[in-house]
Amino acid sequence: MTKWVAKGLRTGIKSTRYPDTLEPAPGVSPGRPAGTHLDDDESGARLCGLCPTGALEAEENGVAVLLDRCVHCFRCLRGDAPAVVRWEGDYEWAAIEREAEDARRRLGRAFGRSLHIRFLDAGACGACMSEARQLNNPYYNIHRLGFFITPTPRHADILLVAGPLTDAMRVPLQKTYDAMPSPKRVVAIGACALSGGVFGPSFVSAGGVGELLPVDVVVPGCPPPPLAILHGLLVAVARKPPGPLRSAAPDAG
Amino acid sequence: MTEARNSAPTATGARRDDFFEQLPPALRDGLRVEPGSDAARCTVVCVRQKLRELCRWLFQEIGYVFATLVVEETDAPSWSIAYLFYGPERADWVHVEIQQGIDERTIPSISDIVHAADWHEREAEDLFGLTFEGHPRLGEFILHEDWPDGVNPMRKAFDARGRPERLPETQWEPPTVLQAPGAFAMPVGPVFSDYAESAHFLLETVGEDVVTAIPRFFYKYRGVEKIAEGRTPEDVLLLAERFSGTSALAHGLAFCQAVESVAGAEPPPRARALRCLLAELERLRHHAAAIKGICESTALAVATSQAALIEEDLLRLSCGVAGHRYLFGALRPGGLTLDLAEAQGRELADAIRRIGTRLAELQGMLQYTSSFLDRLEEIGAIPRRLALDYGLVGPVARASGIPWDLRRIVRYAAYGALEFDVPTEAEGDGYARLRVLFREAEQSIALIDRLAVNLPAGPVAVAVAPREGAALGMAEAPIGAAFHWVRLDASGTVSRYRLTSPSFTNWHGFHLAAENFAFQDFPIILASLGLSNAECDR
Amino acid sequence: MPGSEVLLGLFFALCLAGVALACLLPERRQPSVLAWLGSAAAVVLILATGWQLLSEQPFALRLWPMLPYGTLGIAMDPLSALFGLVVGLVFLPVSVFSGRYVLKYLEDYSLGYFCVLYFGFLAALVLVLVASDVVLLVLAWEVMSVLSYLLVNYDDKGDEGTRAGFLMLAMSEAGTIAIVIAVAIVANASGRIDFAGIRAAVPHLEGAAGLTVFLLAFVGFGVKAGLIPLNSWLPRAHPVAPTNVSALLSGVMVNLGIYGILRIDVDLLPPIDVGRGLLVLAVGSISALVGILYATIQTDLKRMLAHSTIENMGIVTAALGAGMVFSAAGFSALAGMALITALYHMVNHSLYKTLLFLGSGAVETGAGSRDLDRLGGLASRMPWTSVLFLAGAWSIAGLPPFNGFVSEWLTLQTILRSAVLSSAGVKIVFALAGAMLALTAGLAVTCFVKAFAMGFLGHARSPDARDAREVRPMVRAPMAFLAVCCVLLGVLPTYTIPVLDCAAAPLARASGKDALVPPFFRLPSAGGEGLPGPFVREFHDLGAQIGREVLPGRSLVVLHRGGERNPVVFAMSTSYMVVVLAILLILAYLAFGRATRRRTVARRPAWDGGLRRLRPQLTYTATGFSNPVRVVFHALLRPTVIEETTEAVAEHFRTAVRREYAEVHVVDRLVTHPIIAGTRRLAKTLRMMHIGRVNAYAAYVLVTVLATLVVGQGGDILSRLMTGLGISPE
Repeated sequence: MTKWVAKGLRTGIKSTRYPDTLEPAPGVSPGRPAGTHLDDDESGARLCGLCPTGALEAEENGVAVLLDRCVHCFRCLRGDAPAVVRWEGDYEWAAIEREAEDARRRLGRAFGRSLHIRFLDAGACGACMSEARQLNNPYYNIHRLGFFITPTPRHADILLVAGPLTDAMRVPLQKTYDAMPSPKRVVAIGACALSGGVFGPSFVSAGGVGELLPVDVVVPGCPPPPLAILHGLLVAVARKPPGPLRSAAPDAG
Repeated sequence: MTEARNSAPTATGARRDDFFEQLPPALRDGLRVEPGSDAARCTVVCVRQKLRELCRWLFQEIGYVFATLVVEETDAPSWSIAYLFYGPERADWVHVEIQQGIDERTIPSISDIVHAADWHEREAEDLFGLTFEGHPRLGEFILHEDWPDGVNPMRKAFDARGRPERLPETQWEPPTVLQAPGAFAMPVGPVFSDYAESAHFLLETVGEDVVTAIPRFFYKYRGVEKIAEGRTPEDVLLLAERFSGTSALAHGLAFCQAVESVAGAEPPPRARALRCLLAELERLRHHAAAIKGICESTALAVATSQAALIEEDLLRLSCGVAGHRYLFGALRPGGLTLDLAEAQGRELADAIRRIGTRLAELQGMLQYTSSFLDRLEEIGAIPRRLALDYGLVGPVARASGIPWDLRRIVRYAAYGALEFDVPTEAEGDGYARLRVLFREAEQSIALIDRLAVNLPAGPVAVAVAPREGAALGMAEAPIGAAFHWVRLDASGTVSRYRLTSPSFTNWHGFHLAAENFAFQDFPIILASLGLSNAECDR
Repeated sequence: MPGSEVLLGLFFALCLAGVALACLLPERRQPSVLAWLGSAAAVVLILATGWQLLSEQPFALRLWPMLPYGTLGIAMDPLSALFGLVVGLVFLPVSVFSGRYVLKYLEDYSLGYFCVLYFGFLAALVLVLVASDVVLLVLAWEVMSVLSYLLVNYDDKGDEGTRAGFLMLAMSEAGTIAIVIAVAIVANASGRIDFAGIRAAVPHLEGAAGLTVFLLAFVGFGVKAGLIPLNSWLPRAHPVAPTNVSALLSGVMVNLGIYGILRIDVDLLPPIDVGRGLLVLAVGSISALVGILYATIQTDLKRMLAHSTIENMGIVTAALGAGMVFSAAGFSALAGMALITALYHMVNHSLYKTLLFLGSGAVETGAGSRDLDRLGGLASRMPWTSVLFLAGAWSIAGLPPFNGFVSEWLTLQTILRSAVLSSAGVKIVFALAGAMLALTAGLAVTCFVKAFAMGFLGHARSPDARDAREVRPMVRAPMAFLAVCCVLLGVLPTYTIPVLDCAAAPLARASGKDALVPPFFRLPSAGGEGLPGPFVREFHDLGAQIGREVLPGRSLVVLHRGGERNPVVFAMSTSYMVVVLAILLILAYLAFGRATRRRTVARRPAWDGGLRRLRPQLTYTATGFSNPVRVVFHALLRPTVIEETTEAVAEHFRTAVRREYAEVHVVDRLVTHPIIAGTRRLAKTLRMMHIGRVNAYAAYVLVTVLATLVVGQGGDILSRLMTGLGISPE
């Protein structure tokens, strides 16, 4: 057994310094489209037509991006259109849907350093869960922030949900939420949980978790990288400010 | 599929006469053999009375493997039901087709002969309303007990956006099998464990050992086959990538190859090689995650961290190569959407070699940790004969002594020109599966190392003009063989998409591994199989 | 207060009245006779024996002289009084319970017959206890055995029930034969038949005779007490008997086995040989372990309680054996302590076992079944029964502050005191016995957690359990009475021990009372005995004398004090424990109640992983709960496979998997069945004698007559024959 201890010590500390500083390593986030300034409407319309989930909206001075619908198909970046969308590489993507209630709905400082999270798969493809699992690896290591994953909803403060909410998971999701003692919050991750993603509302899925539960923090992406999910958790406990859900087209320059 | 032309020769001779000659005389009348789109495929149009005999001959006498069952409702209207078999040594395909009128809803079941067809038949029963005569266990498979009777979502008349009225309060009785005094069934799920995909397991026991394990899936059924109908191939490619995000590239590749077959297009050599590189990168990352899962289930924390570091490094590498950690959006019908520069390739090769060293070191340490091996050896063993009966695929099958790999058999993309081993073990237990994972990862690293700096020059895509037709695309996903059957109609949109995933095939045989072991071995068995519910449920 | 002899006479009169009324009154009045007259008799008995214990004045009554051997008579000394008190304490609630319970026999059976048996049994029991000579003892013993058999087989439970009753009778009779022989040897050796005379004439019985008497008495009385390997009848008889009879069997009848062992092997024949005590200790420990092991794997409540009786009797016997060893080795005070321990456990067992049997009867009445795999969820539907059963389960598991804890703690501490003995071999046996008793205690907790949790908590597993109803007050009241007794005996051990000491001291020839409950609060200068000065000063420094004003009595049970050089004290006080617990609970209630007043409580169903509905067949069963014990002790239990089949269609579609196992009791496997098989083989061999011809049988007769003459007259005939033949010994 000592060889394992020695191995662990030799590997050293790999944790990111986020949220104290931004993580500079490459590959931690795929980035996402951002509001782009375009000079003519024609290229804007063609760009919007490329998006399979309707995440691009034509505006006066370009295209705006509805961030909760982007499924990372990259057509707006690599597709056959005369213009490409502006791409931003960060990962602080979490947002709050209902602006009016944000101050009251966040869990607050009392939970900021001791948070228990129950992850629930409501029909997700596996990529969101894989990214959420990376939170426990030495790079992200949420334990250093006081965040823990718990297998029982009775101990959970936060319900982390991914997936478009298939009909068969409605009852389990409702029961899990009911089993959590208050105060409790819901963090929905991934385009599927926000807007249905590519699976959308259909004969077997609701097209988003918001139809069943009051969602407090949303983390868009397909899948959102671990640092984005972490940002979402920090937003839920008011340790970080949220971002926008819509990236408007900027003015020229 | 179209690679048969420029790769090693597979079948010899004209398949039509050849196959008809091979049939035993008793079977010949009532059957008609038609040639397929290439020399390696033929279609046997069969009458229903001969179906069982023919399938028995294919499976038991000449050792063909059952791949998938494709049920289509044609415009006639009629049923076209095709059983797809392939021969692993000869790499040829036999499609057994039955045509019957739309009102004829029964067909003989072949599940008692070809047990791998069991779940395919149950799925067709739930989604199409067909009845497979002689199948001992029908009813409530994909659609759970609150789905109204008589409504079959895969019928053309059913609207994919409709929301049928669900039955209000349902009485689900656990389908228990064990009869013993004091026996009970321990329910696990659908919400359980720290991170686990939603699925339900009934573990029947008299208190110490799990005597029978009865799983219940399709909590995550999103109806991908139905919502794909009427969409363009580019949009369905999004579905193929995202229905199981951790094997996105392999499924996307199988789908693209199917569309390319229908359109008669062939991706350029650089695209094929780059596709292989990305597929191996995905396989390597998937296997690192599986190894991490096994170490985590046995609670060997440092090994889990080491494997997790490797997995995260591979995710970051993937993001650097393809712009997305899970390689979404890299494929398109006809090729790829991105290219790999030479400098990038060299960096990738160096990084992969370093990861290879770390993996080898991890394996070296694990194989001498007796507390770890105690929990893994002889646990969850699947004997070879049962693995063959259930048609298991992938590393699970290869750990039980079945040496088949679609990369070897079909030689799709650039695999025909590449040399690599297909590691096989004989015990079929958890440790054998772990060893297969490590050795396959080693092979993937060697392939990536070679491909990254040896990509043939040329474009990375050709234009593809979809036309009417149907084809089967396949790929060896990290979990095993994946088959995508795509039919395009005259306007070039997808009219039928039949998606058979390796997890669907392998979860069928899960109970073979889980039974007659103690409760505390259950999470380890789950981790050693490394299957995906999203891939199974679609 | 009339003397105890008057009360005793009144008691016998009441029993006689009960028999008479049972014969005279109509059927529907019989339950009242049972309840009223039975309780009255029990109360009178309690008074008689209680008065006897407290007044410390034995009485004797001569009845019929049988010169020159002695006089038949009855006498009540403290030992008899204690056992009689237990009989009374058990018969009181059982009589009240019976008043309600026997109504279910009104249609098919004769209640008058039951009453006759009942009162006869009661009278016979007490007669065994107060007999002051061996003849009356044996006579009463025999009557008691036969009446108990008739009571067990009172209602028809089919072939199995009849066989169980017969087995009980047969083993009882075998035991009686052994007792008779033992008693005959003693009477022959001493020339007297009354206990006082025997004690005076033969203070010790040496050599082979003594050993024979000891073993025969041990075996004979051990059958009744249910010791291994003589226990086969117990787990078979208890489930087939009516519930109140099972309660009596476990509550009082098995105690008589202990009484017999005490009377013959400790009182009349004081142990002079350490080996005898070791044998008793070993048998007791093994009985305890085997008993609880089989109890843990049972799912039938009454069978489980029957095995548990074997376990508890084993513990009593083990303590008894320890006492005999200490006595033989000369440590009389320790022997006194050990005997107090044994008697304490016996009293405790009677109380909580009766409570549990009455509880199982209530469960059977209210929920229709006593199979734990068919019960469940009774706590909400039968709250009183659940609480009272819990009190019984808590006691029998030996958890503080109830009475089971006190006697288990005392037993283990007594075994630990073997450190004072000099022989290493003896100490090893004590160590092994202690280990077995500790394992027993752990398994007992498992067993009764299973019984309570599977029976009363969780989901109802059958429609009967779902529709369970609470039983009537007349059934609950006796259980409450016993539960209160359990609590009192648990919380006030320091008052119980002096009472028990009255019974134990004469046997051990020394008093263990002051060692166990020393007067802590009196300084040596005030005439306190037993405690070294530094001890008391230490405790005074700690403030122990504060208690003197608050708690009037002695509150600590102490079991070990070193000398001046190693002042070590092992002490226990359930009295203080209860006081401190109460204070803590009240404080916690006040503190948390205040702090959480603003919080709301939400009630939700139990978390079941998100299932739509949790079915009872998805919850743990009693068999599942105890399966790990089955697996760990596999080598001892050796289950045989009855069925292990799988049914399938086309090999892979499984339709049914069947597993069934049976366990044959280890004693049956190793002792009873080989004996039966050996006897059969012997009988087969002897059958060869029966040739079928008259000449052969005549020859047998002739040979037997000659042999008898030779053996009977022995040397006489031989010498006459030789003289007659002319062969003289010169």
